[in-house]
Amino acid sequence: MTAQRSGGARLRTAARDLAMGGRFALSGRQGWVRTLLTAVGVGLGVAMLLLAASVPHIAQVRQERTHARDLNPSGDYGQGEKPGDRTLLAADAKTTYHGKEIYGYALQPEGKHPLVPPGIDALPAPGRMYVSPALKKLLRSDEGGELARRLDSRIVGTIGDEGLEGPQELAFYMGAEKLSPPGTGTARVTRIGDTEEGGPIPPVVVLLGVVACVVLLMPVAVFIGAAARFGGDRRDRRLAALRLVGADAAMARRVAAGESLVGAVLGLFFGAAVFALGRHLLGGVSLFGLSVFPSAVVPGLALGALIVLGVPVTAVAVSVFALRGVAIEPLGVVREAEPGRRRLWWRLLPPLAGALLLLPLSGEVENTPQGDVHEVQVVGGVLLLLSGVGLLLPWVVERLVARLNGGGVSGQLAVRRLQLNSGAATRAVSGITIAVAGAIALQMLFQGVAKETTVSTGDRADAQRIGVRYVPVGQSLTGSERLTAALRKTDGVRRATGYLESYQQLVGKDKYVAVGVGSCDTLREIAAVGSCRDGQSFRVEAPRGKGEVPPPPAGTKVRPDTEDDSQDSKPGHVWKVPASARTVTALPDIWGEDSFEGLLLTPGAMPKGVTDDAVYVGRVQLAAGNADALEHVRTTVFREDPAASVITFTGSERNGYFVMMQRVILAAAVGVMVLIGASLVISMLEQLRERKRQLAVLVAFGTRRTTLGASVLWQSAVPVVLGLVLASGFGMLLGWALLRLIDQPVADWLVFLPMAGVGAGLIAVVTLLSLPVLWRLMRPDGLRSE
Amino acid sequence: MMSTGTVPAADPTADTGVLLSANGLRKTYGTTPALDGADFAIRPGEIVAVMGPSGSGKSTLLHCLAGIVPPDEGQVRYAGRELSALSDAERSALRRSDFGFVFQFGQLVPELTCLENAALPLRLAGTRRKEAEAQAARWLERLEVDDVRHHRPGQVSGGQGQRVAVARALAGMPRVVFADEPTGALDSHNGERVMQLLTEAARETQAAVVLVTHESRVAAYSDREIVVRDGRARDMSAMAGAV
Repeated sequence: MTAQRSGGARLRTAARDLAMGGRFALSGRQGWVRTLLTAVGVGLGVAMLLLAASVPHIAQVRQERTHARDLNPSGDYGQGEKPGDRTLLAADAKTTYHGKEIYGYALQPEGKHPLVPPGIDALPAPGRMYVSPALKKLLRSDEGGELARRLDSRIVGTIGDEGLEGPQELAFYMGAEKLSPPGTGTARVTRIGDTEEGGPIPPVVVLLGVVACVVLLMPVAVFIGAAARFGGDRRDRRLAALRLVGADAAMARRVAAGESLVGAVLGLFFGAAVFALGRHLLGGVSLFGLSVFPSAVVPGLALGALIVLGVPVTAVAVSVFALRGVAIEPLGVVREAEPGRRRLWWRLLPPLAGALLLLPLSGEVENTPQGDVHEVQVVGGVLLLLSGVGLLLPWVVERLVARLNGGGVSGQLAVRRLQLNSGAATRAVSGITIAVAGAIALQMLFQGVAKETTVSTGDRADAQRIGVRYVPVGQSLTGSERLTAALRKTDGVRRATGYLESYQQLVGKDKYVAVGVGSCDTLREIAAVGSCRDGQSFRVEAPRGKGEVPPPPAGTKVRPDTEDDSQDSKPGHVWKVPASARTVTALPDIWGEDSFEGLLLTPGAMPKGVTDDAVYVGRVQLAAGNADALEHVRTTVFREDPAASVITFTGSERNGYFVMMQRVILAAAVGVMVLIGASLVISMLEQLRERKRQLAVLVAFGTRRTTLGASVLWQSAVPVVLGLVLASGFGMLLGWALLRLIDQPVADWLVFLPMAGVGAGLIAVVTLLSLPVLWRLMRPDGLRSE
Repeated sequence: MMSTGTVPAADPTADTGVLLSANGLRKTYGTTPALDGADFAIRPGEIVAVMGPSGSGKSTLLHCLAGIVPPDEGQVRYAGRELSALSDAERSALRRSDFGFVFQFGQLVPELTCLENAALPLRLAGTRRKEAEAQAARWLERLEVDDVRHHRPGQVSGGQGQRVAVARALAGMPRVVFADEPTGALDSHNGERVMQLLTEAARETQAAVVLVTHESRVAAYSDREIVVRDGRARDMSAMAGAV
């Protein structure tokens, strides 16, 4: 009975103390300021978490939209399909404009009631097009002048939201009338939308996603923890006053919890409001080519509930935990003795445990769809290892500053303050150091994954070289010659060549020969054919010593390559290498590299069917110094055939998932950096506000502003420099451990430099932003409240 | 006497023997008048108590006299020069070289040791650390707090802290010490001791002291009393002489 009563009484007392804390949080100007600081800090973190919790839904909606408009759902371009009342031809006309990718199709109905892609009401007629709102805006802007020349069809409508991946997507559907039959680049559409599930995401990409989530969200959690402690010094003094009137230590803790709870709950509301506002603003933003519809930005129910419950609990826990080292006595906290020395041993345990979790997974995550990522173990390992930065930083700062003596007055003030209590300064930068460590690890993992997801094209990267490939309608030489002529006239083009090329199989052998077809003028650019007239053919050998596949001798029987044809296709028409074919030596191509080997034919010497599977092979050399030359070439090629491919030589191609993932992570990293910057500004302002009186006294003594400014800078710089050193070390350690998971060596140990630079730069910006407030606080009239 | 800084050394007796004077000072914070035509004068080595009830404008007068805040109206002259004509940097230099301060709660820099606190004005004025701390140590000894020189302010008692603050104010050998309720936070015994040490040291160094207090027993250490009421200052000695 007594126990029950005392239990109930205890509960009532606890509730009363919490309520008292709540009242403190909302009473008086200082209470409000502290609560608002906490609410803003927690709110920014909550907004970030809600955004992160929305990512699965965003990805799902995006995937659904992508699948819903798939015009080649079977993946075989509908080659086996027959034309019908509802079918249409769709040529993939996607193009690139100054690095922006533009989704687009040229559409040609085959029947009276053709299918219509989502977002438009009817197929556009030839010379007409539907465009997305963002593309319409771009086409009408000065920036889009060259693109308007390329997409010169008349705009007859706007693609609705249901046909776009995101509100800022650049997309178009244009009408066409002479599209090639189904094959590469052109599909016969018999249904729109892919109902099948996409293939599994490669394990390395899953690993990257898992690591990115941890790395990006951990600083947010650290930030929320730091925000919950804003104004802690002032709060401690208030608690001391409570102790004076009879509150015990436990009561003081409960009052502190009540104060934090109010800040955290207000932060939740503020965060929800920022999120609600932000999701609407997101619709107008395109980051790294990604944009999302506000309606897609919806946090998952479970994750949302976790945030709503977890954030206040975390804030209260952090607030109470922070009180463990503070002796709040009735006469105040000012007589508190020097805090006990920080111990190293337990700070090493979490990162060691993290390393122990990750190292046994070496080589476990392979780049196969069956690979297991061991998400839980990886998340645990990454979390524990990264926590090492936050745990070790206070110890390292304490140990180092204990040995420093200060030097000048500014240095002495800074060093002594750090010696007395480096906690606040260290907490302020721990978020950024964890973010930097994570970013370094991610960058290293990116480099490793890039090796696995990047396929070398076998070409050297060269911005001046442009390749063009397309299948001219009817494989006609006219189109081929016309495009070459147009390319030569294009602004910024130094040289251009092009011919039709096909591969023919030597009858009865598993050997192939390249056959190029073009006018005499064209052939003279490929080989030293000398005198040439229509009807002639040539056997082209590579320059001495360089040949790999010598051309077949005269009389050799060849026929079009049918290896990839479907089973019901007929074997191609057999023809013989003409006896009159003269043997000539190949010339280097206009890029000075490869040379043609095989047979060159003038149109008059062209056997039946030899161009059935021919493609136009164009080579363009750009003149140096014309930044828009590539765009001009794209326009020229697009106008000849929207489905033609313009190839730039970057030396490699990357997995689409990987590219998308990298973009998402980059976008998220920008968000986290902005958040961390905001946290640093708030934290720095709070620290300065706490020292307002002391700054005023120092100014009264005649202390120069520059001395005090330098002191504040030193105070930030010491933890920042040490933090970045720690972050670099832990980041590289984590990166190395993660690379071992995918059996990749470290590609570049210096990868930490740019990340550390970004961290240092961010802190410099934040310090600059806080200087005006510091200057304002250094007015001697701060003494007045004495 | 330290005279580093941007302000040239001044002749203390330049204005008919008056070192620091104020005429018709007016100062308003928001809509609240703090000073309403206050006058003041002090000679070298003189100790003047500024008395008055809370909120009467005592501290504001001290802040104006020390060039910490500029008055809205009126003049403050130090060693023949008008303070309001000096730039902020020049007034800061003057405070470093010629003035010392003691506040009610000591206002020591909590992260510095007592020795470093006492040496701070010297260091700010450009004295080398070793030399500054040697001078400061002598003052700590003089103020009977030598034993806490390596303690931080949070580790010493209020009386000890206030004595360190007095040592800090005097270490730079200022011409004027501004003391704002220097014993306000101390018990009577400690308060008496601090006042004894402060006034003895000031007389010895010929420093003038502007002593803001509302306690008569503290004011008793002064040569002259000025009462501030409703923002106006009255020289009680002059009134007594008139009577």
